[in-house]
Amino acid sequence: MALLQIAEPGQSAKPHQRKLAVGIDLGTTHSLVASVRSGQVETLANSRGEHLMPSVVRYLADELPQVGVKAQAHLVDDAANTVMSVKRLMGRGIEDVKRLGESMPYLFEACEQGMPLINTVSGLKSPVQVSADILRALVQRGESSLGGELVGAVITVPAYFDDAQRQATKDAAQLAGIQVLRLLNEPTAAAVAYGLEHDEQEQGTIAVFDLGGGTFDISILRMEQGVFEVLATGGDSALGGDDFDHEIAEWMRQELQMPTQLDLAQLRFLLRLARWGKELLSDESSAELSFEGWPGDATYADLELTREHMNRLLDPIVSKALRATKRTLRDAKVTVGDIAKIVMVGGSTRSLLVQERVAELFQQPPLTDIDPDRVVALGAARQADVLAGNQSGEELLLLDVLPLSLGLETMGGLVERVIDRNTPIPVARAQEFTTYQDGQTAMAIHVLQGERELVQDGRSLSRFELRGIPAMAAGAAKIRVTFQVDADGLLEVSARELTSGVAASVQVKPSYGLSDGQIADMIKASWTNVEGDRSARSLREQQVDADRLVEAVTIALAEDGERLLTAQEQQGIVHQMEQLVIARNGQDHHAIAKQIEVMAKASDTYAAMRMDDSIKRALAGKAVDQL
Amino acid sequence: MDISQDYFSCYGLSRDYSLDLAGLRQVHRRLQQAHHPDRFVTGSDSEQRRAVQITAYLNQAYATLSKPLTRGLYLLQLQGMDPLAPTNTQMPMDFLLQQIELREALEDMSEAQDPEAKIDAMATKLQCQASLLEGDFEQAYGSSDFERAETAVRKLQFIVKLQQQLDALEGVLLD
Repeated sequence: MALLQIAEPGQSAKPHQRKLAVGIDLGTTHSLVASVRSGQVETLANSRGEHLMPSVVRYLADELPQVGVKAQAHLVDDAANTVMSVKRLMGRGIEDVKRLGESMPYLFEACEQGMPLINTVSGLKSPVQVSADILRALVQRGESSLGGELVGAVITVPAYFDDAQRQATKDAAQLAGIQVLRLLNEPTAAAVAYGLEHDEQEQGTIAVFDLGGGTFDISILRMEQGVFEVLATGGDSALGGDDFDHEIAEWMRQELQMPTQLDLAQLRFLLRLARWGKELLSDESSAELSFEGWPGDATYADLELTREHMNRLLDPIVSKALRATKRTLRDAKVTVGDIAKIVMVGGSTRSLLVQERVAELFQQPPLTDIDPDRVVALGAARQADVLAGNQSGEELLLLDVLPLSLGLETMGGLVERVIDRNTPIPVARAQEFTTYQDGQTAMAIHVLQGERELVQDGRSLSRFELRGIPAMAAGAAKIRVTFQVDADGLLEVSARELTSGVAASVQVKPSYGLSDGQIADMIKASWTNVEGDRSARSLREQQVDADRLVEAVTIALAEDGERLLTAQEQQGIVHQMEQLVIARNGQDHHAIAKQIEVMAKASDTYAAMRMDDSIKRALAGKAVDQL
Repeated sequence: MDISQDYFSCYGLSRDYSLDLAGLRQVHRRLQQAHHPDRFVTGSDSEQRRAVQITAYLNQAYATLSKPLTRGLYLLQLQGMDPLAPTNTQMPMDFLLQQIELREALEDMSEAQDPEAKIDAMATKLQCQASLLEGDFEQAYGSSDFERAETAVRKLQFIVKLQQQLDALEGVLLD
């Protein structure tokens, strides 16, 4: 409904009141929450002054789970109940998890549909639940730091996340009771954090090199006049600093001739030692690795690791990231020479090897002024501030792209692309199908994401069944399936039979996600006693929405109702508005919501007329090049 | 914003083949600024849905008008023609023979001694042909010779397809 936009150009109706919104970087190894306070964007610390919250949750038998530093302390002594790197499991099936192998030392319970569950003393936990626990802790920190309830959060995801992974992240937020203002791609957030758009001179192309704990993203953005436009994005959703640790741990294991099968605690010991050594070697040229306190019977002598040797171990992983970088430059149709700035993101870009190899590729040193661990959260906070409506006038606009192509399974197990990757979002595409048998009334559709030609290589997103197709001769029915990807990068599919106009019912079976019902059950389970509060809150929310709509329409009608509408059309809108006021003064939030829909529909054409009218007036007498 | 109108009207343009790309881009930016879902995050569900629909429409409109091939195809569709109909397979023989040659050259390229130079040479050649066809289309369309315009745009489609394959090959060889 475009009415609001016109009635109040660039200014809020009420006296300026700052809405509290945060940016959340939900990371593989650690997470952060940030906000804009008195014009300054900053990450929020806990009571001990720590900004980074380890993305670790420890489940206990009869207590609330521990999150963050407290949980991290038990990674070795309570390995099976202390969950880390859960981001790697988001939107993934049991097969993917098997591929992650020993890096995931948990007892998994395969679940027929959806993500594998982790068996803890407090019961089976899905990756979405674990993420929700982390998000809850971050929101609590945000609310206590900012001193009030949040209107919502911008949550960042790797640009390379597919639909299932994005949906899982959004589900986690829903489970934690957070309003998601936007899922924002991490590299885009990082570019925003540097505030490069403020400088008039700073027009040009930016590369964001984001090597985190578990994912690698590379994005190429173009920036002009406050608009950030992603040209191309690429990377590897299973490549990160954790791989550095595993490489070093594996080297230790071989060097000391340890058995191939290590238990959870031993594995954690090695990984922790590897990380310690890796970080030390950023400053020192050699590190002494000590196996004192080894959780096992054997004893091992100290081991020396030089920076030079470590670089040799890690070089293949860095090379893989650089290959993906070159591919993405080509996708963006730019060359290394076009890149004006390189933004570094993720703790793993602290590695000197990574910085050297990136500088070598781009022939200029990357930007490292902002802490690479915090830069994403800071950018997300800026965007949250904009989205919550705290800024006015010509504001920052982020235009992102679809990271991975969307397609459909066709005959012979081939994938037919419906939307190519790097297409700007939101995007909608329609595809037509027909029946192949006389009297056929149903049709199965399989949606996939990825760049591969074969169904078996792509990622299965969902299977749809269209039912209720009117029985016709083979090939006579025309079914139009519409794919729509919203600004969060999330897919929605709808279908309609064209000759009869019947909307075929679409049954969604998410391949790895949770169904709405499952989420609803989980929310119910965790919120058993607040049912009353929730409906009261819904009522208030709907009343606010209704008031806004009534106000906007009243202003609009006063302004140009008589000029643009017939008396009858005006009458119709006024009548629906009266009905809405009646519903608004009642207690039933469903009734209000329903009447808002009716009202919005009744005034939609009017809104479109006003928009056209205002564009016409704005464009009147101007040639395109003057605009 | 009426998303049932044609793409040219949406940007206030007349239905011409040649257009000012920079101007189109600027109008597109302004419309996006006004209608992007980011502007309606705290709005109602229906406002948000509408913003997604409008922006998807704008993205599609811009993608269609900003590329010579899709712009040409779209202009003919607005004339009620269907240049991509599966039944529409008639092409001049000399053009088809030339296409076969180009395709063979492309296939041989991956085994060539110096593929990069060969790729560059072919890219230049294809770009040159594309420009000629675009000129041809513009002239034919401008004089309402839609049959000739259709032939030109269908030839252009072959060339664009080859350009895409060449790009993909370059990606594989340089990786």
